[in-house]
Amino acid sequence: MAKAATGRSHRIRHASELDLLPVMNLFCVIIPFLLLSASFLEISIIEMSPTEGISAGAGTTSLAQSEEQQLQPKIILTNEEMFLGTVFGTRSISRVFLEDRDGNMVNSYDYDALSDALEDFRGELDTAFPTIPVHKITILTVDDVRYDNIVMTIDVCALHDFDKPGLQVAAYSVLQRQILEGAGGVSP
Amino acid sequence: MSTPSKRHLPLTLGYKKNKASIRGKDKKVTLNLTSMIDMFTILVVFLLKSYSAEGQIVTLSDALTLPESRSDQKIELNLEIIVTNDAIIVDGEPIVFIEESVLIEGNPIPVLVERLSDHLEYTRQMRGTIDETEMKVNIQGDVATRAILLQRVMSSCAQAGYATQNLTVIKVEGGDEQ
Repeated sequence: MAKAATGRSHRIRHASELDLLPVMNLFCVIIPFLLLSASFLEISIIEMSPTEGISAGAGTTSLAQSEEQQLQPKIILTNEEMFLGTVFGTRSISRVFLEDRDGNMVNSYDYDALSDALEDFRGELDTAFPTIPVHKITILTVDDVRYDNIVMTIDVCALHDFDKPGLQVAAYSVLQRQILEGAGGVSP
Repeated sequence: MSTPSKRHLPLTLGYKKNKASIRGKDKKVTLNLTSMIDMFTILVVFLLKSYSAEGQIVTLSDALTLPESRSDQKIELNLEIIVTNDAIIVDGEPIVFIEESVLIEGNPIPVLVERLSDHLEYTRQMRGTIDETEMKVNIQGDVATRAILLQRVMSSCAQAGYATQNLTVIKVEGGDEQ
């Protein structure tokens, strides 16, 4: 006798497996392509501002620009010390210390201290001269300061909106004169 | 009862005919690709993140190590000046060899100024006119380059008419968006 139809199939249904081979094929093509065109080393630039020594187009200064120039700070890097020279005076930031970079012991500076000093200066500047935007900064160094120290200094400056750096190199005696001249400064 | 002869056994092509297959108890062996697909997916996502549609527009010299910076400013295709510890190279051609005398003075380097002026003049003649975007140079310097040399190169560029000098650096994470 035939079994009554219940409307349900009593056959065991197996879940059909996904065929992953086409996905694998796609991945096998796409991964070498992406590996070839991937850039693991990203290159960027730092745009330098012309300074007095390297200016290409002088004589086009407006009143606002000249005020900015008067207020722009200077970071002085010597082989012994780092200074921050501002309209409020020049002060020492850190002594030089030796640091191991890629197996070589090289001169380095305390960039955290520089960051703190620039933050303070930015605060003073915004309080005393709120209408004048100051973005320029001059890195004034002696002859043999390493390039990576200059770039690190520029990086710290950019963190505090001093994002138009200029570079000047002078003899140690000239820098000493600058430091002595700026030691007085103007009280904020 | 006699045992069946081998002729009546089912053919199992492509598989080793062991005792289990002869008895019909074997299963088709399939590779479990799920874990491999997972790994590939992660790899593809990572590679897509570091994919560059623009490609590299600068060729980095093996003779130098670029400094690292948090600067996020995109590089443009400009005249390349490479400053190594041995020479100053403009557009692939060594112009100045670094001697002790080069590291004493702080003025522009005459030979370099001449070469850069020629390049600017050539560009002017080729295009008829010259605008601000063509008066830019990218300077690639080694981490150990002395400030005096960098300053001499920059002042040479300025004197030759390249008003904007960009320092080429390797971007490190934590950069400020521009």
